[in-house]
Amino acid sequence: MDKLDGENAQDSLAVIEEIMKQTRKAIASSHANSLLILWGVIWVVNNTVLQFYPDYAHYISWGFVAVGMFGTFLIHHISHTEPWVRTFLSQKTSRRLGWFWILLFVYAFIWLKILAPFNGLQINAVFSTAAMFGYIVMGLWFGSYFMVWLGLAVTATTLTGFYFFPHYYCIWMAITGGGTILCTGLYIRLRWR
Amino acid sequence: MSELDNIIHQPLRLRIMAALIVLEPADQMDFIFLRNLLKATDGNLGAHLAKLEGAGYVRIEKTFVAKKPRTFISVSDKGRDAFTQHIAALKLIIKTSKGL
Repeated sequence: MDKLDGENAQDSLAVIEEIMKQTRKAIASSHANSLLILWGVIWVVNNTVLQFYPDYAHYISWGFVAVGMFGTFLIHHISHTEPWVRTFLSQKTSRRLGWFWILLFVYAFIWLKILAPFNGLQINAVFSTAAMFGYIVMGLWFGSYFMVWLGLAVTATTLTGFYFFPHYYCIWMAITGGGTILCTGLYIRLRWR
Repeated sequence: MSELDNIIHQPLRLRIMAALIVLEPADQMDFIFLRNLLKATDGNLGAHLAKLEGAGYVRIEKTFVAKKPRTFISVSDKGRDAFTQHIAALKLIIKTSKGL
């Protein structure tokens, strides 16, 4: 082997650090981007439709939630049958994640029932911020800070729409909430792979 | 004292080891995922993986997932130790070159 000088050694270490960073990002984003794109599209379409047909909010939202849950299940199924990284902890972790999301929404739903009645805007804001709380928890859980920032950013836009633009809240959430989630998913897909 | 590892030192093998070392000890990485990540060709990556496998640094498992053939790669304990030693050797060279 040729003798290595300090500069070459420094370059080698820089290459190692860069590859390790890219690998962590690629693993983290291998299926997360599909989920973000799916839910970003659902937020955009659901909130846009709600803005123009508020009387059917109940049916519209549950319909989109059902589509989202089915899509999420499908993506998870694909990620297990065609894994990029086989981990022997993944099934346990996936189960925990699944239970976390179910319990989070059951918790929000129970409190909404106990404290009812609410108007559509309030219900939308509760579920939107609950979902973003889930993103923040997942970000902290997996050490993925972009998820924490995404959760905080969409929570901030939700509260801004809720307090300052109540008449345009749904379309505001479609653009700022759904748009942010969708763009994050697309950014990860294009830049991190 | 740590010494540079001739097998790991080659540029693509260094990048392969850097990518695999991120995995938890029991985890495995898909060949295609690794190939895309490192922007390598099938033949080139396969040849260098064979070299690393020959040294006992990586384990290669060919299997079927959903009836499709897949290749998964993981780092052995020996590979982890060798990589750690290699990094220590690089750091020592840097330190020495700075006269520390």
